[in-house]
Formats: sequence, structure tokens, C-alpha cells
Amino acid sequence: MTEPILSLRGVSKSFGSIKALSNVSLDLEPGKVVALVGDNGAGKSTLVKVMSGVHRPDSGQYLFEGREVHVSNPAEVADMGVQTVYQDLALCDNLDAVQNLFLGRELTGPWYTGFRVTRAASERRAKEVLRRLRLDSISLTRNVGAMSGGQRQNIAIARSILWEPKVVLLDEPTAALSHSAAEQVGDLVRELASHGLAVLVISHDIHHFVLDNTDRIEVLRLGRNAASFNSGDVTGEQVVNAMVGGNEAVNMAG
Amino acid sequence: MTDSLHPPMSAATPKRTLTERLGNELSFVPVAIGLVALFFFFATQSDVFLTSRNLSNLMVQSTVTGIIALGLVFVLLTGEIDLSVAAISGVASVFMAKIVMDFGLPVPLAILAAVALGGLVGALSGRWITLIGVPSFVVTLGVGLVLNGIQLLLLPRTGRYNLMNSGVDKLAATHVTGVLAWGLILGAIAIFALVLGSTWRARQRAGLDASFHGGVLLPVVVVAAFLIGMLMFLENQRGLPMPVILFLALLGIMSYITSETRFGTYLYAIGNNAEAARRAGIKVDRIKIIAFAIAGSMAAFGGILSASRSLGVSVSSGGGVGGGALLLESIAAAVIGGVSLFGGRGMVVGALFGALIIATVSNGLNLMGVANEARLIVTGLLLIIAVSIDRGIEKLARPGS
Repeated sequence: MTEPILSLRGVSKSFGSIKALSNVSLDLEPGKVVALVGDNGAGKSTLVKVMSGVHRPDSGQYLFEGREVHVSNPAEVADMGVQTVYQDLALCDNLDAVQNLFLGRELTGPWYTGFRVTRAASERRAKEVLRRLRLDSISLTRNVGAMSGGQRQNIAIARSILWEPKVVLLDEPTAALSHSAAEQVGDLVRELASHGLAVLVISHDIHHFVLDNTDRIEVLRLGRNAASFNSGDVTGEQVVNAMVGGNEAVNMAG
Repeated sequence: MTDSLHPPMSAATPKRTLTERLGNELSFVPVAIGLVALFFFFATQSDVFLTSRNLSNLMVQSTVTGIIALGLVFVLLTGEIDLSVAAISGVASVFMAKIVMDFGLPVPLAILAAVALGGLVGALSGRWITLIGVPSFVVTLGVGLVLNGIQLLLLPRTGRYNLMNSGVDKLAATHVTGVLAWGLILGAIAIFALVLGSTWRARQRAGLDASFHGGVLLPVVVVAAFLIGMLMFLENQRGLPMPVILFLALLGIMSYITSETRFGTYLYAIGNNAEAARRAGIKVDRIKIIAFAIAGSMAAFGGILSASRSLGVSVSSGGGVGGGALLLESIAAAVIGGVSLFGGRGMVVGALFGALIIATVSNGLNLMGVANEARLIVTGLLLIIAVSIDRGIEKLARPGS
């Protein structure tokens, strides 16, 4: 068992009188893909926002590389090596893949060029990264607005790993995608793990995405850890039962 | 594509279609074609139209609108609008005239001060818009009216400053000829070739696909043909008019800023998806404020040029109250030139073509002896057609069409 790179221990978070997370623990290991599943309102997004530094937990520990850290904003977490890709992707449709990958962090030339963007160097770097992720089929010079949903999702993910983080958090990467586009994203997620990254994926798509592309499944229910499965020895039905609360579901069915 | 884990070769990346290119770096092509068509049409209608004297006039006519539109492009790219540009041009020109005539400041200093004033007004509007989050068209409409009032306050009782023999008049009256003119034109071509050439060489060194013919030779030949043709044509007349030189120089600088620098990329990014830009660490507010400042200073400079051409400033400088035709034509020039009012699309060079189209329609119809009302109708229709073509191209460039 590899040591986890990012761990949450007994994390709780409330918004006013609503308890979003109570005593939740989670480990992410290098080279492993963990799925975070749960019904609407189970606390998945809150948990990701705690990990990405958007929310501070009320109690509990945030451990990174074995040491406890106190993170207060998303930039700090990103600098630490934890990147988050949100559902809306935050891409600019009127820019091409290279410009989107480097947005806000452009490589520029010397002052007498007026800090001209060094397009050739950026494009070469982008090409290397996309090749490493086996995303060679993505055009570097088309506007991303003209691309398919799967390609856009993959560009957003590629952007998150351009600066070599250790952990990537993906919020519903397949929600708006067709089956084949989701498969492309699944390929990429496994590729990331094979490069030694720890990956967390929120997904509703248990049968077509989670079982095929993840190593472990963590189930949240009503803000608590409900179950944990190895993706290899579980059926979709078992996962769904854990999500909705197996006994109640059986009772209602009976 | 489903089993694309091991694509055979990267050569399979799809080429960009013509519609995509028309939506980006070739966005000015439809309007350039339209301009050529207009030239043909008016050449058949009037013997005077294609004379160097008339074309010299036409170009000078387009410079004031063109320079104001040039600055406006920066604001439009971020998805905002500045309805005070005409008023800024008016108040800045009156301010310049006042400090020259009443206080005896040297003309170059007065021009610099007026341009700085325009930039300051733009920056303050931008600050207010980003701080409070009010729509820019409302704020700048208000600012425009305020400036109209200040313009009236700055004017003397006579309502006019006469700038004949003040030194300001030299700005528009100067013509550059001979060796100096050729030096300017060839220097501009050399710089353009250097910029494109360095891009090409860097790409080649980095092992990326780089086309010398399409990326360097063709654009340089087109630009060189345009500039040298213009020079040879105008040499018959009195040489290169200073307003035309200034407009083209500003156009070159602004094109470089928007298409080559980090700041330029941010303008486009903000215009398309401000939230994404913000999350990428871009200081959205600051970029917008700079864009408004550029629009303000360009507008001020346009106003100074206009004052210099008309040998004076008055109540009607800057298009009069509300901006009048000057404001509408400046916005129309940018939009006809392919700049989207919704932000994120268009090029600075569009301001040149848009301003030339408006000046051509006005000039050509005048020569045909058509009345003013027809001119307004034609310009209005051209604006509608231009926006519709632009919209069509944008729709075609979307996926699944």
C-alpha cells in the first residue's frame, strides 16, 4: 500500500445550521484514481472545495505529504501541487488550445519586444504535454469553441497538469459528455495516474465511467463516509445501494 | 475515435476550416472585399473618384473616425463599450486649444496633456464600471454628457477657438514627401517583415510546422503593395498626409499589442469568458481599465487631429452634444470592421477598413451628387449587412455545423 499524498481526517463542515460534512476521511495515493460518488446533497462538491482550498473545514485535519497543512485559499493549494478542474472548465472559446493551456501564465520574450508572447516555445511545450497524455489528436491552433465536449474537457484537464501538480481533482468531468467522449476522458484519467498523479473524480456515471476507470470508490451519504470499495470487486448495484442507503432501499422495495 | 488510446500519428490533427479562419485572423477579409467593391462602383460613377487628389482626401477623412475606432476596439474586445469617446475627443481638443491659446503652452506639450487627459477620463470611467459593476454603456453615456457640459464651460464667449497659425494646424497640414516618405514606408514594411519573420524562424527552430509563403511572404507582399502603391499614388499629389501616417503607425502598434502581447491575449480572454480569465489569475478589472484608458487617449488624439484639420474647436467639436455622427460612425467603423459588440472577436485592423468604408461611402456619394440623407441610409444599411455577415461566420464556425 502506497502512502497517501493527500489525506483528510475527520473533516466536518457546516453552513449555518446545515451540516454538509461530518467526520469525513479520505486518502488519495499517487498513481491511483479514486472515485467520489454519492447522491445529490451528499457533500461531494463541498469535500472537493475543502480539498481545493475554497472552504476551510470547521474541524478535522488536512494532511499533504504526511504533514498537516492549514490552507486558506485556492491559490495556496494550487501552489502546493493540488489542481482542480471544475465542471464549467473555464475555457475561453475564442482562444486556441495553446492559449488556453497557458492562459494567465504565458511565456513571454524580453522587454524590447513589449513582452511578446513566445508562441513557438509555448506551442512546443503544449505539444509535449499533449503527447505525453496521448492527446495528440487535439489541434493546437483551432479555437476550443470549435471542439467537441470531450476534447474541451481534456484540454481543461491537460491545463491543470501543465505545471506538474501531484494531485488532480476533477468535478464531474463526464456530466455533459456523450458515451464515447466520456471514454476519451476515462483514458486520460488513467493516463494521469500512470504518470504517478493522485486523481480524484466526482462522477454520477457509475456503470460506464467509475467501474472502468477508477481504482477505488468512496461513497458519501448525507455528509458521511458510507462505504469504500475496490473498483475491481464490486458491482454497480452495490455502489448504488450504498449511495442511497441500502437497507432503506430494500425496505422500500419490499 | 473511441479507441484513441494510441493514435497512429499526430498528422491526423484536423486542419482549420476557412470559416474558422474568417472568424479569427482573417476577420477583416469580407470587409476588405466590400471596400474593393465600393471602389469599383464609385469609379464607374464618377471620373473624379480615383484621382490621387480625391483618394488623398478620402484617406484623411477616414483618419479621425479611424483613430477613435482604433481605441474603441480595445474596449469592445473586453465586452464593454465606451459611448463617451466622441465627447472625450471634443473636450480634449477644446482643452488643448485653451491651454495653447489662453496660457501659451507649447503645442507638443498641449497635445500630450490633452491625450493624457483623455486617457485619464477613460481610466476613471473604467474604474467606476469595474468597481460598482454598472453597465459600461450607462456610465459612459453619463460621462459623455458631463464632458459635453465641461466642453461648453471651457470655450470662450465666442464659442470657438481659432487655431489658424497656432501651430496646431501644422499637424494635419504637413505632408511628407521624397526620401523621408520612402524611408517611412520601407521602414514600416521592414518592421512588419521582421515581426512575421521572427515568428516563422522561432517556429522552425522549435520543430513546429511553419509556412514561409503563407506566414511571411504573402502578408508582407500584400502590405508592401498597399503601402508602396499608396505612396506612389499620393506622391503625385502632395505626398503622404501626416494624419494618414499617424493613423497607420498607431494601427501597426495597436495590432502588435492586441495580437502579440500578453495584454492582447487577456483582452480576448476577458471578452469571451471573464470568469475563466479571473480564475486563470488575470486581473480582469485592471485590464479593462487599461482598455478604457487606451480608448480615451485615442479618442483625445482623434479630436486633436480633427481640430487641426478644421482649424479650430467649437461647440460642435466631438460631434456636438451626445456625440452625434462622430460617435455613431466610430462605433460603426469598428463593427463594420468585424469587431463584435459582445466581446472577444475582431481585429484592430478592422478599424482601418471600417473607417475607410464609411469615408468611401460618404465621399463617393458626395461626388455622385447624392444628398446627405441617402448617405446616412447607405451607411446604416452597410452596418446592418456587416453585422449580419459577421454573425453568419460566427455561427458557421461553431461545432456541428
